Amino acid sequence: MINVTELTKTFGKHQVLKGITTSVRKGEVVALIGPSGSGKSTFLRCLNLLETPTSGIITINDTELTNRHTNIGKVRQRIGMVFQHFHLFPHMTVMENITFAPRRVKGVPAGAARDKAIALLERVGLADKADSYPSRLSGGQKQRVAIARSLAMEPEIMLFDEPTSALDPEMVKEVLAVIQGLASTGMTMLIVTHEMKFAREAADTIYFLDDGRLVEKTPPAQFFEEPQSERAKRFLEKVL
Amino acid sequence: MRRTALLRIIYLLLLVFVASAALLPSLLGDVRTGLGPYASTVAPAAPSVGEKGTIVLGTSPDYPPYENVDAKKGGEIVGMDIDIAKFIAAQLGFKLEIAAMDFNGLIAALQTGRVDFVMSAMSVTEERKNNVDFSSTYYVARNTIVSRESEPYETSESLGGKIVGTQLGSTQDLYAQTLEGAELKKLNRIPDLIQELKTGRVHAVIVEDAVAVEMTAANPDLIMTFLPPGNSKDGYAIAFPKGSALVESFNGALEEMKASGQIDAIVDKWFATGREPQADSFLNLNFGILKGYIPYMLKGVYVTLLFTLVSAAFGFIWGTILSLFKISGIRPLEWFATAYTSILRGTPLLLQLFLIYYATPQLFQYDISPLMAAGLAFGLNSAAYLSETIRGGIMAVDKGQREAAMSLGIPYRTMMISIILPQAVRTILPALVNECVALLKESSLVSVIGVQDIMRRASVVQATEFRALEALLFAGVIYYVLVLVLTSLAHLLERRLRRSD
Repeated sequence: MINVTELTKTFGKHQVLKGITTSVRKGEVVALIGPSGSGKSTFLRCLNLLETPTSGIITINDTELTNRHTNIGKVRQRIGMVFQHFHLFPHMTVMENITFAPRRVKGVPAGAARDKAIALLERVGLADKADSYPSRLSGGQKQRVAIARSLAMEPEIMLFDEPTSALDPEMVKEVLAVIQGLASTGMTMLIVTHEMKFAREAADTIYFLDDGRLVEKTPPAQFFEEPQSERAKRFLEKVL
Repeated sequence: MRRTALLRIIYLLLLVFVASAALLPSLLGDVRTGLGPYASTVAPAAPSVGEKGTIVLGTSPDYPPYENVDAKKGGEIVGMDIDIAKFIAAQLGFKLEIAAMDFNGLIAALQTGRVDFVMSAMSVTEERKNNVDFSSTYYVARNTIVSRESEPYETSESLGGKIVGTQLGSTQDLYAQTLEGAELKKLNRIPDLIQELKTGRVHAVIVEDAVAVEMTAANPDLIMTFLPPGNSKDGYAIAFPKGSALVESFNGALEEMKASGQIDAIVDKWFATGREPQADSFLNLNFGILKGYIPYMLKGVYVTLLFTLVSAAFGFIWGTILSLFKISGIRPLEWFATAYTSILRGTPLLLQLFLIYYATPQLFQYDISPLMAAGLAFGLNSAAYLSETIRGGIMAVDKGQREAAMSLGIPYRTMMISIILPQAVRTILPALVNECVALLKESSLVSVIGVQDIMRRASVVQATEFRALEALLFAGVIYYVLVLVLTSLAHLLERRLRRSD
């Protein structure tokens, strides 16, 4: 479903991604882990072109993102993204946050968009917050609304960029539960996370990145029990 | 991709801008008809005598009894010059239109073809002759000394070593220069002279007979002394554009009027206008004179508000476009917006206003109306300031908002209009209110090109009543109330925008 070939990204003189090649199949849940500065987030952001790759090819369902003629807006509609800091639209209610893009981008009628939003809010356990403004919500609630907002566009792929890193510890669980629930529906997902326990339970594949390279790409059990590389071993010693 | 989207939004905003510019004349047309006789403020584009049978008279209606706005009778322009002009126009078979403007703008109006002839108690000078043609003189005024009753000056000799006030560019100004040892203080308007005299900043003023009569009637603490009549070539004449075909026929009509006694009849009619002496009250202020003028002055509120609204809306739209230019990443657009801001902020607004009003007819053959010129000048100027404010507001919106919108596939234009700008505006609202308040007050500048705003109307009342302070104080109160209302509305709006916090 997603194919990445020799992807590199350079900021100024600093090469953040040093040639990453991989493919993700439909329904696969990938957890990206690694030390900070290893390029996990940059890799994720390249997948919907929030960062423009310096070189390399990314294709999603045979659409080549890195081709200049690709309508990137259309592609992004099929890729949901959840950010560390939620980025809800503060001047809109929860309902407006969720229905805005379906209505304005896909032309979904107001009634249908609303019904869909209510269903999604129920799914993330926030049906009673439809008319609240984001400023009234806790961090965990905001992140769940952000997930619902992404899902409202009915994406085929979901990208999560450290979705629980900005949350108070007691709120991490409610958000992870929603993501885990989503994984069980067969959604293709890539998740940058520092929650090792969650990565182990939810992911099909662990990507371990270090210094801009994809160092290991293994099932969780194998990664956490018998990491192949020296760097992964050192990393796991520190975090576990 | 992003660039084409940006270009598209800029294109859209430009469209709005052009549309509003196109709507402007019809909007402003409303204002002019709302002003009754001042509808004639604007001459038709490229006035052509004979073709339509209409000729346009330019005059500065602040000089009774020659010409002034009869505010108590709905703002009609009346006076001795006007009566003579009407008589001649009728004689020659023309329909007369009157364009009111500042005295200093009259010559320019002739040169740019804005008006066909000027009658505004204008005397013949060599300087003026270089730029316009004159008819024969139709009236010769006597120079008159006006001074305080408590400190009278009754001969020209007694003015040696004293400070003497005159109206800048008037015949009396030239005469006063021949006074030995007198120090001259030249002011733009008669009401200013009266105030300077009453407060003792000048010892005496020299004005012409008609003005002196009105001044002393309105201010019982002043007295006047007529000086012997001067040279008859210093009289008042009608001015025409260089080479105008009208001079000859007007001269013929004047000769007939002089022979038939018609001129004398008109002069008598206007100089006989008596004025009841007014009792001075507390602090030498007499607000009684405003009676009858209040509706006239309040009409200026509509003009001032409409003008502020038009220039604020225009400034905001154009300022937004400029701010988008500045963050576009497209070099020529950035360069243009920066240069634009630099120039518009770096030159006086008054100068821009004059340039747009006087240069447009000359350069583009388009007869821009005063209100449109003013709306344009203020909008263009305000946009320069606002573009920086708005740019700051856009930059202050969290970068994540943009990324969230992009990741949802929301196009650039929709993102800017529905997500980024609303948040930016909320941040910069206090600065926007400041700009509106400034515009409201700065709008008083438009009175210099004859727009009938609050300030201009106050001047008219000053000129007609020969009292300087009362109308000004009243205008001040109106402005202050308007600003109070505006700021309270802004507070309400701010509260509404902050409901999401």
